[in-house]
Amino acid sequence: MRNLFRGELVRLTAEDPEVSAKIEVHWQRDSEYRRFLDAEPAMVVSEKWLKDWFEKRTEEGFSPSRYVFSARTLAEDKLIGFFSLWVDLVHREAWVGIGIGEREVWGKGYGTDMMKLCLQYAFSELNMHRVSLGLMDYNPRALRSYEKAGFRLEGRTRGDVQRAGRRHDSLWMGILREEWLAMQGGEKV
Amino acid sequence: MRDIYKGNLVRLSAMDAEEAGKAFARWSRDSEFRRLLDSGISSLTSSKAAQTWLEKELEEDSIRQYWFSIRKLDDNQLLGDIDLNVYNWSARDAFVGLGIGEREFWGRGYGTDVMRVLLRYAFTEVNLHRVTLTVFEYNPRAIRSYEKAGFRHEGRMRGALNKEGRRWDILVMGILREEWMQQQEGE
Repeated sequence: MRNLFRGELVRLTAEDPEVSAKIEVHWQRDSEYRRFLDAEPAMVVSEKWLKDWFEKRTEEGFSPSRYVFSARTLAEDKLIGFFSLWVDLVHREAWVGIGIGEREVWGKGYGTDMMKLCLQYAFSELNMHRVSLGLMDYNPRALRSYEKAGFRLEGRTRGDVQRAGRRHDSLWMGILREEWLAMQGGEKV
Repeated sequence: MRDIYKGNLVRLSAMDAEEAGKAFARWSRDSEFRRLLDSGISSLTSSKAAQTWLEKELEEDSIRQYWFSIRKLDDNQLLGDIDLNVYNWSARDAFVGLGIGEREFWGRGYGTDVMRVLLRYAFTEVNLHRVTLTVFEYNPRAIRSYEKAGFRHEGRMRGALNKEGRRWDILVMGILREEWMQQQEGE
């Protein structure tokens, strides 16, 4: 069986509230990162606020409908980002949120590697039928990365985001179980 | 679409901790009912203790637990409770527990009716792959009822119970989605 928590460039680790808060406080100051992450207004909060938020999430404990991982580089064991899966158990659909706060590793395949691990976890461990995600059209690097990981563009909501003085589209992507299995080349998953 | 909570004799209704607490306390006095319900040690409970326990249980993760009270269709009388616990979401397997506390309604088709309603809920609303239950060797009425509802015998834990001075088996029964779908054909 494959190692679910180890890719080519990164490994997945448990989220630690203290470590995550310490690094997130730096990442959030990068307003470009923040604007790629979601459509909420970019905002800065204190390390204490972040630590409380991460701790609350940890205290909520295991839930079969949410899975969160941190990602570290294999080379230097450096924390670079995270992903979360929100799972609709009844219909077997999972939504992914993914982010790489360390901008020096952008565009180098780390995100694609993380997404491959994310899909492997969703399809071979959680037994999902499909995985979905959304992004903004001003993030073409992410779009290419998601396509490489196997996602297809399924739709767009025109002009639903306003950033930096102009209108942008939200893009919606998805990958089905059969498509992912076909990509594994008959390998046992 | 049909009313998924309604059978021929009974309907599924919401659990009310206060009402169910009173009923559980009353049913706990029937030691035979307690021994048929689960393998724990029969004991007596007060309405208040049962209500407190229920309030805590009902707070549990709603994604895992689907718990209903059972009411008669004609006069709304509370007969018992039934609980679907999705203990393994990645395999989509759930455990069902059923108890009819009002013994005058034993052996009259109420249990079979509510199990049919629950299986429809499990397979068409929660989209499960299988439903599992355990039943005790000394409860042939329940075994027959589960067979009628479509469950198959899958195994037995030999001598797992010790009641009334002797050993009894726990029977494991299950029903798969495909089997249930086949049953529904022509309905």
